[in-house]
Amino acid sequence: MAAPSAAGLGRRLRAWLPRIMPVRWSRYNPSYLEPEVKKESYQKPLEELTEEEREQMELKAVRPIKAAPPTLSSSVFSDPMISKFTNMMMKSGNKVLARSLMSQTLEAIKRKQLEKYHKAPENEKETIECNPYVIFHQALKNCQPIIGLSNITRGGKTYQVPVPLTDNRKRFLAMKWLITECRENKHRRTLMPEKLSQELLLAFNNEGPVIKRKHVLHKMAEANRAYAHFRWW
Amino acid sequence: MAAPVYPAWVTRWVSGQWRNKRRPPALRPPRPLALADKVANRREQSTEATCITEMSVMMACWKQNDFNDAPCAEEIRMFHDCVAKAEKERKNQNEDTLSSRGNLPSSKVNKLLRRFPQITRYV
Repeated sequence: MAAPSAAGLGRRLRAWLPRIMPVRWSRYNPSYLEPEVKKESYQKPLEELTEEEREQMELKAVRPIKAAPPTLSSSVFSDPMISKFTNMMMKSGNKVLARSLMSQTLEAIKRKQLEKYHKAPENEKETIECNPYVIFHQALKNCQPIIGLSNITRGGKTYQVPVPLTDNRKRFLAMKWLITECRENKHRRTLMPEKLSQELLLAFNNEGPVIKRKHVLHKMAEANRAYAHFRWW
Repeated sequence: MAAPVYPAWVTRWVSGQWRNKRRPPALRPPRPLALADKVANRREQSTEATCITEMSVMMACWKQNDFNDAPCAEEIRMFHDCVAKAEKERKNQNEDTLSSRGNLPSSKVNKLLRRFPQITRYV
């Protein structure tokens, strides 16, 4: 008699409890606004603001604001692209390791560039870029594909159709290709920062296996350009 | 009204029963002669693909320059602009107005018809 009553009680209680498992979408009420983290936007005097910015400020006075996530920082050293790349490199939630690998990579880039700088003759010294952040951003930009392929089924057969990509998708593909390249095609004894810095410098100069992969994608899209009419958007 | 109901003598007079011209009824509707509250589901004709010309121009440039991006920067920029414009156009278009071909999709038509159904009987 205790068992059926316990089961019924459990079922009724389960319907009553709020959800305790984490969900992927946001639980915030739609009226919540995003937090503004940049210090410069608060230091501007009132007269310099445009109409929309004034309205935005007035809206912020009455609406609630979401909590800032821990990865969002107002420091001058934080860079959203670097954070995204670090998160993609992270395995099993080991953010400490991923962040240290990232900083070691940037340091390795700087060291290599400084070595090249000091060895170069006077007239070539200006052309050598020593800022690792600039190299990182330019390398990622060079790795981004311009069109992608998507599978579209027509009459039972699946075709690879060339399709324009969104900015987010391009960034994601560039970072993904870099990381997979560095994880798979390296010698057992080379460490990740060493290999990553090598790949980033090659990509900065438009050489290297990641750029080749991008070109292969472009070639396939060019070969399949006859199917471009299968798109409906 | 589902089928307009006339008094019995009207039906008899129209059928010619009193003039020896009675013929079998001309129309024997299997269902009541009234409009239904829905249209048949039709496969919506898909819109055409956008930015095909810009894409082909860009690919021709790539073929000439061995897929380098630096010499083709102008074509790539044009392609990006076209894609951004098409994306904005798609976001701004309101599906409640007529589509580019002047037809409403059948689901929207059914929703409207459900709001204003055909009156079958007067109370």
